[in-house]
Amino acid sequence: MEMTRSAPSGSASSVAVETVADRGYKGIPIGLERGSGSRKLLARMIRVMFPHKGIPDAPYIRAAEAVLALACEKPGRQVAFAAAIQDLMNLDFEAMDDAAALDHLRAMSATDFFTQFQGKALLAFYDDPEVWEHLGYEGPSFDKGGYVNRGFNDLDWLPDPRIEEYDGGEQ
Amino acid sequence: MKQIALDEPAVVIIGSGAGGGTLAYELTQQGIECVVLEAGPYLKNEDYENDEWKAFNQMAWLDPRTTSGSWRIAKDFPSLPAWIVKAVGGTTTHWSGATPRFKEHEFKALSTYGPVEGASLLDWPITLAEMEPYYERAEMAMGSTHRHGRAALPANNNYKVFANGAERIGYKRYATGPYATNAEPYDGRPASIQDGFNFQGDKSGAKWSIMVREIPRALETGLLDLRPDSHVVRITHDASGKADAVIYADKDGNLHRQAARVVCVAGNSIETARLLLLSESTRFPKGLANGSDQVGRNYMRHLTGSVYARFDKPVRMYRGETMAGLIADESRFDPSRGFVGGFYMETISLGPAFLAAFVEPGAWGPDFAEIMSSYANTAGMWIVGEDMPQSDNRITLSSNVRDQWDLPVANVHFDDHPNDVAMREYGYGKAAELYDAVGALGHHRTPPYPSTHNLGTCRMSERAEDGVCDRNGRTHEVANLFISDGSQMTTGAAANPTLTIVALAMRQADYLAGELKRGNL
Ligand SMILES: Cc1cc2nc3c(=O)[nH]c(=O)nc-3n(C[C@H](O)[C@H](O)[C@H](O)COP(=O)(O)OP(=O)(O)OC[C@H]3O[C@@H](n4cnc5c(N)ncnc54)[C@H](O)[C@@H]3O)c2cc1C
Repeated sequence: MEMTRSAPSGSASSVAVETVADRGYKGIPIGLERGSGSRKLLARMIRVMFPHKGIPDAPYIRAAEAVLALACEKPGRQVAFAAAIQDLMNLDFEAMDDAAALDHLRAMSATDFFTQFQGKALLAFYDDPEVWEHLGYEGPSFDKGGYVNRGFNDLDWLPDPRIEEYDGGEQ
Repeated sequence: MKQIALDEPAVVIIGSGAGGGTLAYELTQQGIECVVLEAGPYLKNEDYENDEWKAFNQMAWLDPRTTSGSWRIAKDFPSLPAWIVKAVGGTTTHWSGATPRFKEHEFKALSTYGPVEGASLLDWPITLAEMEPYYERAEMAMGSTHRHGRAALPANNNYKVFANGAERIGYKRYATGPYATNAEPYDGRPASIQDGFNFQGDKSGAKWSIMVREIPRALETGLLDLRPDSHVVRITHDASGKADAVIYADKDGNLHRQAARVVCVAGNSIETARLLLLSESTRFPKGLANGSDQVGRNYMRHLTGSVYARFDKPVRMYRGETMAGLIADESRFDPSRGFVGGFYMETISLGPAFLAAFVEPGAWGPDFAEIMSSYANTAGMWIVGEDMPQSDNRITLSSNVRDQWDLPVANVHFDDHPNDVAMREYGYGKAAELYDAVGALGHHRTPPYPSTHNLGTCRMSERAEDGVCDRNGRTHEVANLFISDGSQMTTGAAANPTLTIVALAMRQADYLAGELKRGNL
């Protein structure tokens, strides 16, 4: 089951077709293999999408790998992703500053490529324990005995409220 | 375990969730043998995962479904209209535990609200007074806190924000329950360890579910033949129009036929309707028990929405019992607010993985990242209220998508009613007011998640032409066919539905047992 959103039709293949028509297959990194530069470019894209200052590159790279794995599942998707990535490389996306990069992503946000990319990147990035740690989430807790003795009620900036039901009768 | 022969006409229950599991337990307690066919696997507490996506992928119903209509789900999650579990215990494995009762006037929605344009409101053919003894039994079975002398759960961090906000804006009816997770050991199960993973199945066993209580006890009687990984694909009938067998696929896709004396369908509203539609025949051309053309219609999902608020200090909403916080002030009937029906506010928490996916589906960019960056300082609440039944909000069979058995999947069509929209807007506003009163820096209005409450597709009605089953859940058209889950509900009320599903199943069990003993079935 794919948790990505439905995509407007046609856009990915039209991107691919145009690119293929303009430049031939030669320039397209069909393999999307490590070291092809795709990974770094995608990681940069993910950082522009989900900017968190304190979070190092590693989780962004892992999310990029998850996107590449999704791209490589089906040949049609693979060629569409490859074409879109090639386009971004041609535009020197990685050299754009944050504002320009954000504008560029906004401009392409209706494409099928972007929708699939965003869905997968989001799922992978925010499901990463290193990201959880930065956001202040502690992950599995059952093996640690839950939070019953570890702060389930340690909020101290508000008074302790009533827990029993109101005894002033029904409305 | 009991083994009932395939050719022995048995009491057959389809689905082992809140409705089906309760029915199996109650019948076996009364000495009646039954077969339970459950599409999903038999997983236990130790199998459950403390991880949102792993747990979801382990147990959620992931067979394909399709969607249509103007609800946002059709755009954001087109193949996931609902969050329902496919496993022994059904969705009670992932449920959180809020157990308010329906109110007297909610059983009389049409007479109380009057006709509402575009809505197919009806009065239930039963009253609160008739339900009360069953509510008491259900609260005992499920161990609802605050009821029958049971202790309240303590305040967790998310509740502290919620309840203080409630008090400051003048609400009075707030508490940590009623909630079907033990504050103290009860019924052989331990007290909550506040691990924050009850949406993922609760490994500790403190939370009531059909899997921890009804199934093992029904098995102990030696009268239950429980068959997991058994997906019912058709109910058949004899020449007289009575149900005579069910056909199911095992996990390898082999078909089996279990003869039946009585068939009780409890597959949760989407699948219950789908199964009746799939069981069409020359005699029942629109689907079994569907002479009224009401099967699949009046699908309700409760009006829902969430508000997540950011503070300048830590909240850590993920620690502790997820939904052990409830405000009932807005559950009253008060059309001066601009809508009929009421709603509850309940604490909710998602981990970062689910929050990212659901807080604003499709969103990204700096504003979205800020919501996520504030995670530790975020408090959350869920709004759950009565939505209007509409005859075109319905389950139909897909004309082009098929499941793993090559059967048409369910299409879920849903449009919000203007009353739903008005109530949601009002609820969002009240939630924002509540959080502002305790110093929120900002809040986000989150749209409804894939439906966790699925109701009404085979509703109870006094008259056969208005619904699918009668006051006992017995279908108007097929004398030995019963609807035993949330799809019986005539209207949805504001309260979370499971206490009522369990109470209805208990009531149906008493009726069924009586009819069986009298030789009427
Ligand atoms: C995250 C979450 C939180 C929730 N919290 C609350 C709460 O706080 N309070 C509350 O009241 N409710 C809550 N609910 C809702 C509650 O879980 C459901 O209302 C309840 O479980 C529905 O009962 P049911 O019997 O209709 O269906 P289910 O419990 O879903 O059981 C149906 C079963 O039937 C099986 N089945 C379906 N089709 C077939 C077939 N053809 N053959 C064989 N088996 C089949 C399914 O696999 C499933 O196991 C929550 C739900 C979720 C997802």
